[in-house]
Order: sequence, then C-alpha cells, then structure tokens
Amino acid sequence: MTALRRYKVLFLAPGLLTLFLIIIFPLLFTVRVAFSSWNVASPQMDWNAGANFVRMVHDGRFWSSVLHLVVLAGGTVLVEYVIGFALALAVWREVRGRRLLRVLFLVPMMTTPVVMAAVWQMMFHESLGPVNDLLGRIGIAPVPWLTSPGPAYVALMTVEIWQWTPFMMLLMLAGLLSLPREPFMAAAIDGAGPLRTFRRVTFPLLAPVSVTALIIRLIEASKMSDTVYVLTSGGPGSATETPGYYLYIRGLKEQQTGYAGSLSLTYLVLMIVALTIISALLVRAFRSQEELR
Amino acid sequence: MATLTLENVAQTYNPGEDPDRWALKPLELTLESGRTYALVGPSGCGKTTLLNILSGLVTPSHGRVTFDGVDVTSTPTRLRNIAQVFQFPVIYRSMTVRDNLAFPLECRGWPRSRIEERVRAVAEALGLADGLDVPASRLSADEKQLISLGRGLVRDDVAAVLMDEPLTVIDPQLKLSLRRKIRQLSDEFAPTVIYVTHDQYEAMTFAQELLVMSEGRLIQRGTPEQLFESPSSTFVGWFVGSPSMNFLRGTLERGAARVGEHLIDLAWSPPVPHGSEVTVGIRPEYIRIVDGGSHPGDASETSVHGRLVAVQDHGESRVCEIQVREQQVAVKVRREVHVPKVGSFVDLGLPRSKCLPYVEGRLATCGD
Repeated sequence: MTALRRYKVLFLAPGLLTLFLIIIFPLLFTVRVAFSSWNVASPQMDWNAGANFVRMVHDGRFWSSVLHLVVLAGGTVLVEYVIGFALALAVWREVRGRRLLRVLFLVPMMTTPVVMAAVWQMMFHESLGPVNDLLGRIGIAPVPWLTSPGPAYVALMTVEIWQWTPFMMLLMLAGLLSLPREPFMAAAIDGAGPLRTFRRVTFPLLAPVSVTALIIRLIEASKMSDTVYVLTSGGPGSATETPGYYLYIRGLKEQQTGYAGSLSLTYLVLMIVALTIISALLVRAFRSQEELR
Repeated sequence: MATLTLENVAQTYNPGEDPDRWALKPLELTLESGRTYALVGPSGCGKTTLLNILSGLVTPSHGRVTFDGVDVTSTPTRLRNIAQVFQFPVIYRSMTVRDNLAFPLECRGWPRSRIEERVRAVAEALGLADGLDVPASRLSADEKQLISLGRGLVRDDVAAVLMDEPLTVIDPQLKLSLRRKIRQLSDEFAPTVIYVTHDQYEAMTFAQELLVMSEGRLIQRGTPEQLFESPSSTFVGWFVGSPSMNFLRGTLERGAARVGEHLIDLAWSPPVPHGSEVTVGIRPEYIRIVDGGSHPGDASETSVHGRLVAVQDHGESRVCEIQVREQQVAVKVRREVHVPKVGSFVDLGLPRSKCLPYVEGRLATCGD
C-alpha cells in the first residue's frame, strides 16, 4: 500500500511541480506583490496595505480599458458568430471543393497574431494602404484608420473578426454535420420554407453548440492585447487600450510591478465573474430555446 | 386528397447502372383518392424509395409523378402538401406538443383560431389533448410517434399520408392500440394513405388494397383476400401468409399434378403440354389432416400420404410439418383439432378448388 502511494507521488510529482511553478506560484506571488509598492525605483516586497487598490479605483484609464474590452470582445464575438454560422450554413450541404474551402478558411486562425496584425497595419495605412486606396476609387475620402478612435475600433475589430471567424465557422459546421437528417425531412414535409426551417429547426438544434462556441470565443477574446499592441498600440491616446495591453504598459514598460499586480488580480477576478455570469445567461437563454421555445 | 399516379417511374442511385439493378424498376401505378394502401415486401425491395418519390424526398431518375393530374415530378417536398410519418418518431424538440401539431398548419399560413381548433381535434383523436403544453422532448417514444402521426393528420387538405413502418419502434402491447388508433383516424379523416410495412398482418388489417413488391418491382396488387386466395406468383404466396403457401413440385398428367405416387387434382388445368413441370400451391389453412387414414376423402379432395415430422405451437393454432416424399407441407390446424404424434404417418386432404397450378413461378391461366 505504501509502495503504491510512493509510486503515485512519484508519477504525479513532475506534473504537480510544473503546475505549481508556472501557475500556482506566479498567482500567489502576484497576490503578494499586489500588496507591495514594488517598482523600478525600489524593488522591495514591503506591505502597503492595499494602497495599490485605492489607486486603481481612481485610475480612470484602467476602467475605460475594461470598457473598451467589453465593446471589442462583445462586438467581435457577436459578428464572428453571425458570419461564422452563415458560412457554415453555406458550406454545410454539398459544395464543390468543400474540403479545400475548409482548409483555406483556417489559414487566418493559424497565422501568428503579430504577423497578421502587421499585415493589417499595412492594409489600413492611411496613405499607403490598399483599404483607403479602394475607398478612394469609389469616391470616399481617406479614413484615418489607426489614428482616430472610431475607425481604430473598426480596424481592430476587422482584424479580430478576420482571424477568428473561421474558428467559429468550424465549430458551427461540426455542429451542423452532427445533426440528424430526419427533422429536416419532417420540416420539408410539413411545408416549412428555408427561413422557417432555420428558425424553428436548425437554430434550436444547434443551441448547445452555439453556447459552447460563444463562450470559448469570449474567453479567448477577453485576453485581447497582441492585436492592439501591433495595430494601434492602444492609440490614438488610450482610446483602444484593453486591460491586457494596459497591464503590459504598467507592469513591463514602466516596471510598476506592485501596481500591475493589483491590476491583474482585479482583471482576473472581473473576467471570472463576468464570464461565469455570461455563460449562465447564455445557457439559460438557449436552454429555453431548446425545451420550451 | 388526391389521386396519385406514377408514370413509368424508375429510380437508380448510380447513373448508368444496369437497369436490372435499379432500386426501382419502371413502374406504372395509380393510387386512388381516399383509399388506404399497404406496401409490403422484404427489406430492400424499394418500398421506402417509392414512398420517398411520392413525398419528393427523392426525385425519380425516370418517369413522371402526378397528383390529380398535375405533374409534381420536380416539385419540392414542401410544396407537395404531403404528410409522411417515419419509422422513428421525428419531433421538433424545441417545441411543445401543441406547437408540434400546429407547425404544418403555420407553414400553410392558416389563421390562429383555425389552427387552434384543428390541433385540438387531432389531439383529442390521438389522446394527447391533456398534455398540449408539455415540451415534446419529454414524451416517451410512442407518444412522440403519435405526434409525428398527428402532424401528418392535422392538414385536412393533404394530398396523401405516407407512413413508413410507423409502428416499428413501438412496444408490442401499444402497437395494437396504436394500430387501432391509426385505423380509426384514417376512417375519420379519410385521407389517401400509403402504409409501408413488412408486417403482413399489419398490412392486411389496415389496408383496403395491398401492393406486394420485390426487388424493385411491383409483383401484385389486390385486396387482402385476393392476395391470400390467389397469389399471382409463388413469391406472393410465399411472402403473404403465415406460414407461407405450400408449393409441391410435380408434372402435369391428365390435367392433374403428379407428385410421386400422388395425383393431385388442380383447381383448373394449366395450358401447358402433358408432362411439363407444374407446381401445386395450397394454403396451409386449407389442408385437412384425415384422422386414422381410414376415411377416404370425397371426390372434391385429393388424399396425400405423409409423415408428421414437427409441430409448432402458435397459440391459437398449430402448424404441422409433414414430409410428403422429399417435399415439406405445412398444415395449419386450429388448437382444438387433434394432432397425431410426431413421427406417425398421416393422410392429408387437399381440396381440389384450393390447389392452384403454378408454371414457372406464376399462377397459370385458365386454359382448356
């Protein structure tokens, strides 16, 4: 029995140790650091009794970054869902070259975010980019894509959507392909047109897949920062800063380790709470769809 | 209700396939308005293909389909106004029982009040009226099948109701009551019904007319009585009836069939030359076991001698298997009739009028 116990410990140890080193220790360390005044001038683990959190409450730039994230993540995931679902429906039935199409759709997803953002930066370049060139040809004045808040949002969201819609499509397509044929035959026999079939049959049947896809993407999108870094660097001003990017500025650029610790803790808790509530709401919304309409 | 016709309809799933292997060989068929038909045949004989061609789920590779004279060959399913009940219950999981039943009517754009009225009538007929607001996904399999059935019956202007073995998944006990219910509903609403089954009892009790199919061909159509009394081929005789019709191979001799030492009188003499092969077909229900072997039958009966090799108990009746020379004959006797011991020799009485002559697998014509 004790030998068995020893073996268990032996085999579990490497995994547990890694887990501890890369997740638990940094987490605990962050908690500790958050209550210190550690910064580049005085790297010391003192105790400042929550002064960082008081400062955070009054840090308008942090809270607006959270707001930016809500708009960016919510908007992109919603658009991704709609477009992804539409594309999945389009290639669901027999389409020539379906396999090739599916692979092509996945390319954006596999691109490194930084590379992709750099490419898009070029695309959106005010005087050299093809986007403004095309707009000019149809008589629209050049848009300051990356230097004015509104267009900067559009640019950021375009890039995110371009990158992640294929993922959404893939999930929805997998869902569609796993659906039974019979309800669709029955709907045809009952005389339902394409729209009604979608609304009353396809959509309810896909509700569980929809919930999963939306939640996965929301979790992913809540971490959005690399695209922002490369494309707008949070600008103009701090108009497109997300918490992830703001944390990077405070923690790594300015080396305000203690303050950044408190920010990231808050960010973590906020995200956990928000995503839990959102998933619960989504599940409930779609379950009623599933059971009672 | 509509009269459905198939004009030279055939179906192959692989273009260019040898016509002998088509799922459905060219077929001419008229199904009259308001009648109930049963489509029977072994698995893979083309029953479901035929049904799907009628409902439009399959577009036939050849021929024309018309409803009341209107060509619907390329009309999509949803515009054909046809009802189909599948082998497995199909319900809309996201809807209540009421919404499930109302769905086909909503699709036709009926006004709310008329839908409500009609749904209530059908739900009452099916015994579902108490649970109209229950989510359909919570029901048991047979209740779900009732809903599928109900969706087929709510439209009173439906061209035809097609049922593809709708009772397969139902418990034997419930099957009986459900079958009665279907019967009752089809009497009440009188739609044109085409009922696919491999269960011949179901077919015979349900339909006014039976269509027997085999290997993509329509072999015979007729009332249950016609199929039972005069199967047009040995296949139909074998397929319809339980146990199957008996077939005794012999040769024609003076208008009768020579089987070993027996000369079996036939209902009529087939128009083939003396000495050619003829098969005697007789239903197990019509053969009499002659007690003790001492009574000679009268002139309307041929006496045949054989050995009883097995008895199967079917409850209300018994099936005796009797070896006549090297051929087997099944005899169905009512429970109260005395059956001799297995292994003993018995005499069988074969009524002349029930001994049908088959030549090359088909019922011979009456020739002199």
